[in-house]
Amino acid sequence: MSANQKIIRVAASGLCKRVETANGLLDILLDIELKIHAAESVAIVGVSGSGKSTLLGLLAGLDLPSSGEVHLDGNNLSMLDEDGRAEIRSRLVGFVFQSFQLLPGLTALENVMLPLELAGRNDARERATQLLARVGLDARLTHYPKQLSGGEQQRVALARAFAIQPAILFADEPTGNLDSTTGKLIIDLLFELNAEQGTTLVLVTHDESLANRCDRKIRLDAGRVVNGIDHS
Amino acid sequence: MKTFLQWRLALRLLARDWRAGELRILFIALVLAVAATTSISFMTDRLARGMVNQSADFLGADIILKSPRPVNKTLLRQASAFNLQTTESLQFASMVVSGDALQLSSVRAVDEQFPLRGKMRTASASYVSDSETHSIPLPGEAWAAPAILSRLNLSTGDSVTVGSLSLRITRVLTFEPGQAGEVFGVSPRLLINRIDVPATGVVQPGSRLTYQYLFAGDKTGLDAYHTWLKPQLDASHSVIGVHEGRRALGAALERAERYLGLGIMIAVILAGVAIAIVVRRYSERHLDVSAMLRCLGLSQQALLALYLMQLVVLGVAASAVGGLLGWLMQAGLLAVLSDLLPVAPSTTGIQPFLLGFVTGAAMLIGFALPPVMRLKNVPPLRVLRRDLLPMPGNAWMVYGFAIGTVFFLIWRYTDDIKLVLSAMLGAVVMALALFIVGFALLAVTRSLQSHMGVAWRFGLNNLWRRRQLSLSQISAFGLAFMAMLVIALVRNELISTWTQQLPADTPNHFAVNILPEQADAVQQLLASHDIETTQLYPMIRGRLVTINHQPVRTAVSKEAQGDNALNRELNLTWTLNLQKDNKILEGRWLNSGDTKQPFVSVESRLAERLGIELNDELGFTIGAQQLQARVLNIRSVQWDSFRPNFYMIFPPGVLDNLPSTYMTSFYMPAEKKPVLGELVRAYPAVTLIEMDLVLAQAQRIFSQISHIVEYVFAFLLLAGLIVLYAALTASQDERLYEGALMRTLGASSKQLGQAHLAEFLLLGFFAGVLAIMGTEAILWVLYSQLLELDYNFNPLLWIIVPLAGALFIGAAGYWSTRKVKHQSPMLLLNNS
Repeated sequence: MSANQKIIRVAASGLCKRVETANGLLDILLDIELKIHAAESVAIVGVSGSGKSTLLGLLAGLDLPSSGEVHLDGNNLSMLDEDGRAEIRSRLVGFVFQSFQLLPGLTALENVMLPLELAGRNDARERATQLLARVGLDARLTHYPKQLSGGEQQRVALARAFAIQPAILFADEPTGNLDSTTGKLIIDLLFELNAEQGTTLVLVTHDESLANRCDRKIRLDAGRVVNGIDHS
Repeated sequence: MKTFLQWRLALRLLARDWRAGELRILFIALVLAVAATTSISFMTDRLARGMVNQSADFLGADIILKSPRPVNKTLLRQASAFNLQTTESLQFASMVVSGDALQLSSVRAVDEQFPLRGKMRTASASYVSDSETHSIPLPGEAWAAPAILSRLNLSTGDSVTVGSLSLRITRVLTFEPGQAGEVFGVSPRLLINRIDVPATGVVQPGSRLTYQYLFAGDKTGLDAYHTWLKPQLDASHSVIGVHEGRRALGAALERAERYLGLGIMIAVILAGVAIAIVVRRYSERHLDVSAMLRCLGLSQQALLALYLMQLVVLGVAASAVGGLLGWLMQAGLLAVLSDLLPVAPSTTGIQPFLLGFVTGAAMLIGFALPPVMRLKNVPPLRVLRRDLLPMPGNAWMVYGFAIGTVFFLIWRYTDDIKLVLSAMLGAVVMALALFIVGFALLAVTRSLQSHMGVAWRFGLNNLWRRRQLSLSQISAFGLAFMAMLVIALVRNELISTWTQQLPADTPNHFAVNILPEQADAVQQLLASHDIETTQLYPMIRGRLVTINHQPVRTAVSKEAQGDNALNRELNLTWTLNLQKDNKILEGRWLNSGDTKQPFVSVESRLAERLGIELNDELGFTIGAQQLQARVLNIRSVQWDSFRPNFYMIFPPGVLDNLPSTYMTSFYMPAEKKPVLGELVRAYPAVTLIEMDLVLAQAQRIFSQISHIVEYVFAFLLLAGLIVLYAALTASQDERLYEGALMRTLGASSKQLGQAHLAEFLLLGFFAGVLAIMGTEAILWVLYSQLLELDYNFNPLLWIIVPLAGALFIGAAGYWSTRKVKHQSPMLLLNNS
């Protein structure tokens, strides 16, 4: 275990998420405890409705827990307001979504430039061009999402996610909308970029082969962690 | 699917959309369109009919046929066949004699039906208060105008002789319908019973007589009769309708009506734009539902039917509400004003609602149908691939439908094809110009972005990335601003024109036939009672006989041959002072160097009718003298200003040696009326024309049509705001999604807020620039072509409007997107 891995990038303690439904209160997540180290890759697995995406949202600071705490790189997200959390995200966090979530009105290049512009980077265009070249889309810079295949869209999303050189990358079913061949290519690319940049990777997936490539699996069942398997 | 089930499903979907708030703006826009168009069109209709009625009251009939001979009896029989009332009167000039004194008078012989419209007013003595009269002079009696009594030094009860008949004067005639159009230079009136005509012995072969046939009835009958009558007439006949009857108020009322027409047009366009924007959003939000329904096995036809059913239900409901609302509003407003305005009774029955339904249906078909039709083409595969979109609607169909609808509705409401065509052409040109200029503005501003701060640059980039949506928003905002500006500026112009036109001290009396040697004394007498007179104008009666040395009858076009100006003597005058309300359209005004030069200034409409041009040589006969004069200028005259005005004006020194009289006008408040008696007793030759009743009424009408103009204005502001709201919310879905994504990528609410603010400020600014450009263009056309007002370029507006646009849209946009700033980024994960 390198020195890098001793740094805890993501920590959750006593994490609960409870929502109100027509039939009363529903616990989606119950008492989650976890720690993820720098440069570690972790797969969150479980059946549909087990609370995987909710956990991902809480870990990334997209949502707030009903109780418990999340620390990203030592920052207690519960102590921050939405703008504070956004600031953390703009520095530390990249995202890849199942349905790509590219802005349809923006070209591939503009989509990748967006987080760089938000961070006020002056080299947004150059950096975005490089990244798109890295994911093999240098001929597609001015294409709009609808002119790209699903695999290509996800590659743009990868380039966007790595644009700010995030410390932590969250991926929600990154291959969920892709065929197995394309999915495999995307995953290869994801792990390559991850290795190149030393990013901590947290991904939610159904795909056991994808989960198996990660250092560790966190299995959820009905909102609880049932085991944490350490591949390393 | 069975029709019943389909309807049930359609209603359920509609109810769900309603609950979700999807349909509110569409419903409100429809209600507004229907309410605006119905209320304004009903108001226009009732006012127009009211004004026609009032004009008819002034004329004494709806139509008058004048002829020098009795007309063929079939003309009258035909009138009864069209259910028209008829009465005849006979008019001739005759000396009225009392002892040794003579007075040339215009005698009118009437029967009991006279007048068919309006009422005569009489008084028991000269210059005392008068009242409406429902009868006519009995046989053997006569009613005389005050001038006859004063010049013959008579009072009521005395007798006069007309021809060989002696008549006792029983009343003083102060107002007679049909008199208003011919106030100057007419001999004073003596009204007698038609039974007495033969006994006067005046009617002989060769006598100069005017037979007047008065007709009244409903519009259908009148129009049909008028159409039938025209081909039966020859050049000696003339027909006067209500439009000719009221020159004094004609222009003002016409402008008010045109303003109302303009109001309807703008309401239709604005509501249409609002509906188009809202439906576009509606159809985009229904892509998923449609794909799912197709996936579940609904055929394209069934899917379309489902949406059409929803539109029908929505349209019927909105039209009913809007129609009722519109009807109530106009009824309420006109009820408040009915004492003061010539308002015709409301058309009872179902018509208002039918009209509302037609409007609502047309708006839906024109603006909502094309985007909804697109929904049936959603590929079912969209359930798997959300990026799949139906083929875009055929642009020709979308715009064709919308333009067709606006065309149809405006034509339906204004019935003025010229107005509709020019408006439509203008709108198309304007839309293209808006688009091009909007694009240019975006592009130019974008090239300046390196000089801007981060938020501005970001906002501008957002606008550029979404440029199609940005352009349509700029156009919509620009259109709404433009509509509000046009309607506001025209309103200001009209109201100030009306206020200036008839200020409180507008001359309400004319004194004519003032002998030259008495002119000063008359002025002094009036001045001694603190009554200020306008300039004294010399007045000489002369006939236009040649144009460029050709007799007028052959020199003018066929249509102009019956022109009144050729059949009677014109009032000629000389002066170097151009009346305030006169304008030189061609050539130059007279100056002191022109004294004694044979020049003449000609009134523009007369010149147009007779084909008289600058530098033409006109020949006049004045008494026994001939006179040639060259046309030095063509001059427009505001005939409804109640000031002395002339067709022909000469420089001094040309007519001076010809026998002339003088005329002047003055404002006399009611309490000084007795001064009139004093004046005519001292100067019996002077003829007084009392216009105070007419003028007071005109002033009242001006102030009331101003109220209506305000009402229309308020309504259209509301319509404009709804368009603005619709356009603001149009991009909200995209912004919510983008907001969530940007927050996920780490944007702070301040960053989002600043970017939105910058975006909306820019949108508003661009829209303001487009609006002021469009407004100036529209006003120029409106003023010069339609309203006959002077166009004034206002440079200040070019600064104010874009800034106000930026501030307004900036603030409203910032407010409307406040939700976006706080959009939870979890939306993205939940959507996945």
